Amino acid sequence: MRNGGENRGRLLLVILIVSSLFLITLDLRGVNLIDGLRGGTHTALSPFQRAGNVVLTPVKNFVNDVTHLGRTRNQIEDLRKQNLKLREQLISRKNQDGEVEQLKSILDLAGTARFKIVSAKVIAQGSSLVFTRTITIDAGSGTGIKKNMTVISGNGLVGVVKEVFANSAIVMLATDPAFKVGVRIAGSQQIGILAGLGSSTANLQLLDNQTTIKVGDILLARGSNNAQPFVPGVPVGQVTSVSNAAGAVTQSATVKYFANFGALGVVSVVVKAPKADPRDALAPVKPVPTPVPTVTVFVTPSPSTSPSAASN
Amino acid sequence: MLLRRFGITGTIFALFFIAQEAVIGQLNIPAGGFSIFLILTLLWAALSTPEIAAGVGFGAGILLDLSPSTSGPLGHWTLILVLMSYAIAFFSYGDENMRGNPLSVVLMVTLAQAIVLVSYLVTGFLLGITATSFSQTLITVIGNALWTLVVTPLMLPAVVWLHDLAFDSRMRI
Repeated sequence: MRNGGENRGRLLLVILIVSSLFLITLDLRGVNLIDGLRGGTHTALSPFQRAGNVVLTPVKNFVNDVTHLGRTRNQIEDLRKQNLKLREQLISRKNQDGEVEQLKSILDLAGTARFKIVSAKVIAQGSSLVFTRTITIDAGSGTGIKKNMTVISGNGLVGVVKEVFANSAIVMLATDPAFKVGVRIAGSQQIGILAGLGSSTANLQLLDNQTTIKVGDILLARGSNNAQPFVPGVPVGQVTSVSNAAGAVTQSATVKYFANFGALGVVSVVVKAPKADPRDALAPVKPVPTPVPTVTVFVTPSPSTSPSAASN
Repeated sequence: MLLRRFGITGTIFALFFIAQEAVIGQLNIPAGGFSIFLILTLLWAALSTPEIAAGVGFGAGILLDLSPSTSGPLGHWTLILVLMSYAIAFFSYGDENMRGNPLSVVLMVTLAQAIVLVSYLVTGFLLGITATSFSQTLITVIGNALWTLVVTPLMLPAVVWLHDLAFDSRMRI
């Protein structure tokens, strides 16, 4: 009897494993039913994610404020006491101001490049437990967003649209390890491939072994055919260190992205690129040191009037 | 009876799944954070017979595979959770030293969680999913294990109560 029970258990296990492998095979073969199931789940979860976002935003902002208390603790402590009653209102206002600021900077960038954009709020972040870096935005195919469109923030490239649903879309961030983008260096026009590393930095690999890169070089997206997935000219990041490994075929470098992936509130999807490549027009202007005026004083020695000189 | 059990279990898992996706997933918890849904699945498996655990692992895996934040193919989480849930139940079922001791259950779930993540990564690599850097992976796996070690004892009484509710049993942990 016991053997019979064990056999049934093993049979069930085998059936479930075979079912799992069957599902994996179906998915890898691109069966449409499975895409529909995922889309349905996403559509069903979106309202909960929106509600969660609304509820958690003040909490997250509060935690963010608390983590920055270290520098001016006393001053903030005084302010906190004075503003205790207004905290909730203030946090809400700060949140709105931040979103407006982000939106303004995106519009500045898109206006300079003449991109046609659709702006959207970030309503969810993908779990890092699955080793990917994604966000969910509250605009989808209803606003003209399609798969493989470039996503930007006011600072530059954020990622690319990975999945589109009716009222939302999933964006693969540039920090995702699977993310790759062709870039060129502003000014010198050298080209290379930038790959995400799962953090705020990325790895740049130059394609030409005759060219060199240096710390501070600014990288712009090179652009793809028909501007998908990448529109040309979008600022991507800045070279922070250069690797000159002996025996390497081409130079490589570490790049810090311009976009702040920890504070993405509002992003924009480029739904139409301009006909003309903006070239280096979007590259952030490097700060120019203010010249300090120098004053040169010439001193001419006056003739000596000492008594010894007079007696001579 | 069977329908009632399936109904209650399914509802509990669906609610935890929504809570994970809508709340826990939105918090920027350092070092990869934790998944209350995975913890629930593994705890449920630890309290069940191997057959039920495998079935629960299958259902939970399907839900995780349908999650918008999952990058792998459908069936990826399912395969891993079926195997891990069955393994947990197989090792703990009938062993009162293991099942009757909350510390053992917590440690077993923590270890299982780490194994689940590593298995997900390895099988994902075999299926052609690009993996993150080794250091990031290590931080996520270790961080998640530590978070699980903290969160599991908090969830254990509730999960035992829910399990009793679904199966009309009196578990003593």
